[in-house]
Amino acid sequence: MSATKTETILRQRDGSMIGGGKRTHRSWTDVALNVWGVLVLLFLFAPIIVIVIYSFNTGRLLVSFDGFGLDAFRTILDKPAVQNAVRVSIITALISAVIATTLGTLAGIAMARHPGRWVWWFLGLLLLVSVTPEIVDAVALLPWFVTLGQDWGMPIFNDGIVRLSIGSSLFATAVVSYLVRARLVGQEANLEEASSDLYAVPFTTFRRVTLALAMPAVLAGFLLAFTLSLDNTIVAAFVQVSGTTPWPVYVLSAVRSGLRPEVAAVSTIMLLLTLIALAVVAVVLRRAGDSATDIARTMGGA
Amino acid sequence: MRKRSLGGLLAVPAWVWLLVFFVAPVGLVIWFSFGYKPGIFGTHANDILSLDRYVEALSPTFFATFVNTLWVGVLGTALCFLIGAPVAYWMAFKVRPERRGILIALVLIPFWTNFLIRTIGWQVILAPEGWASQALQSLGLLDGPLDLLYTRTAVLIGVVYNYLPLMILPLFVAFDRVGPAVREASKDLGAGKAGTFLRVTLPLSRPGVVAGVLLVFIPLMGDYITATVLGGAKGNMVGQLVASQFQTAQNWALGSAMAVVLMLVIALTIGAAALVLWLVALPFRTRNRLVLGEEATA
Repeated sequence: MSATKTETILRQRDGSMIGGGKRTHRSWTDVALNVWGVLVLLFLFAPIIVIVIYSFNTGRLLVSFDGFGLDAFRTILDKPAVQNAVRVSIITALISAVIATTLGTLAGIAMARHPGRWVWWFLGLLLLVSVTPEIVDAVALLPWFVTLGQDWGMPIFNDGIVRLSIGSSLFATAVVSYLVRARLVGQEANLEEASSDLYAVPFTTFRRVTLALAMPAVLAGFLLAFTLSLDNTIVAAFVQVSGTTPWPVYVLSAVRSGLRPEVAAVSTIMLLLTLIALAVVAVVLRRAGDSATDIARTMGGA
Repeated sequence: MRKRSLGGLLAVPAWVWLLVFFVAPVGLVIWFSFGYKPGIFGTHANDILSLDRYVEALSPTFFATFVNTLWVGVLGTALCFLIGAPVAYWMAFKVRPERRGILIALVLIPFWTNFLIRTIGWQVILAPEGWASQALQSLGLLDGPLDLLYTRTAVLIGVVYNYLPLMILPLFVAFDRVGPAVREASKDLGAGKAGTFLRVTLPLSRPGVVAGVLLVFIPLMGDYITATVLGGAKGNMVGQLVASQFQTAQNWALGSAMAVVLMLVIALTIGAAALVLWLVALPFRTRNRLVLGEEATA
């Protein structure tokens, strides 16, 4: 009782100290922290700013800046290989986001609403999926797809799009499961009980109550899964089939053969797409009543 | 009751999916690691099982790369903590609450930008003809062009950069949870700034520290892209070693053994670190529990 009171008073005092604007003195540690914080943010943005600037490089090679112009963006239009790579990336990212969102949402709901010992086993599996280095996933999936497709006669696993979509759906499924579970665990099942007391059949309750409650996490999960899959490089580099090279793998092979400015140009466009997706996630979560900290948790994978 | 027991079945599709496309392939890799490469054209054979591939994976040629990877992993994680902790602290306690959303967004944007592209950004910056090189030369700090790209230092810069947001975010969440009340109480009871941080804030945010260290260390150890783009021949890491066994040498048995060793090294390092921390914390535990027990939940 008294603890909460003290806390409130302290919060208020703290708030007035920060928000009041009358700062009489600032200790050297505060100044140092401010400087450090700004410096680290600059560090975090340095290579991104460089890439955006270099996407206007008119030179032949990315690394040596020649002049300022839109040439790189124009070359994208004459390069079917680049366009194809971006298209493959977007298609596979969409498919794997749909897979991950469907599986993850169902699993997340099951974990939150039907707990039991199995949940610990399942969480253990998800943890294993999230901590396994990507390179291990990559080298594991390659022989597996070969085994399934060639030795066991399932030609669907020889298809590039199928392989890429599966490869990037694994980690994303774990992410969506965590998100949906976290959102539903925080809310009690009262509404579901009320719904079935009012004679709603289980499916209606599921669709109109449980799914509706989980919706912000489902949407955020979908967009995060999409972004994750769009970036998937390592697994994609191993499981890809020639003809369906996704964009990051195209860039990775360009690293070896010489980077051109159009790589930066496409990256700048992709960066804009990512920013839009992130902004949508943030707005969805804000609308659902999340604080800045909750959003950091959701999107930082913590 | 019937409904309740059936509800768990909703997770079945995810179970199946992960068993077929995660557990089975990783199991296959473990199986391959006990086999051998049958000839020039074969990639793997398992009719004779042995541990020879593990001996080969740890032979002097490859052992140096494992040591190098562990060095980059430990040092990189430590640097991420030293650089990231003050930033997380700053965001949680020193910034006006209404500005926090913007700062979180600023940390998240690099995190969600394509990993490979960010790393290429560093290749451009660190190149001998790049900005950093020119700036340092014009300031007179450097005589010739910057000779950093394709070295172990470049890889270290790259990994610290790439995994830093994964340290800052969980630390921020943990610091934020501590809240101002306990810290104020500590100060009112006469503790100085350093004392409050070391004896109240840091112990209470231990879950965040653990999460941050694991989130950085594990993917860093398996990193493939940073070392490929920035490391060249000098900054080799195990990820590249594994990849080359599968892609160029076509020796799946040896590559599999290397992948398994990599996972074991990661697990053993984490286990060793946990043990050391536990032993170090042992003398303090009894003393601090009295002070923090009830307050932590308030």
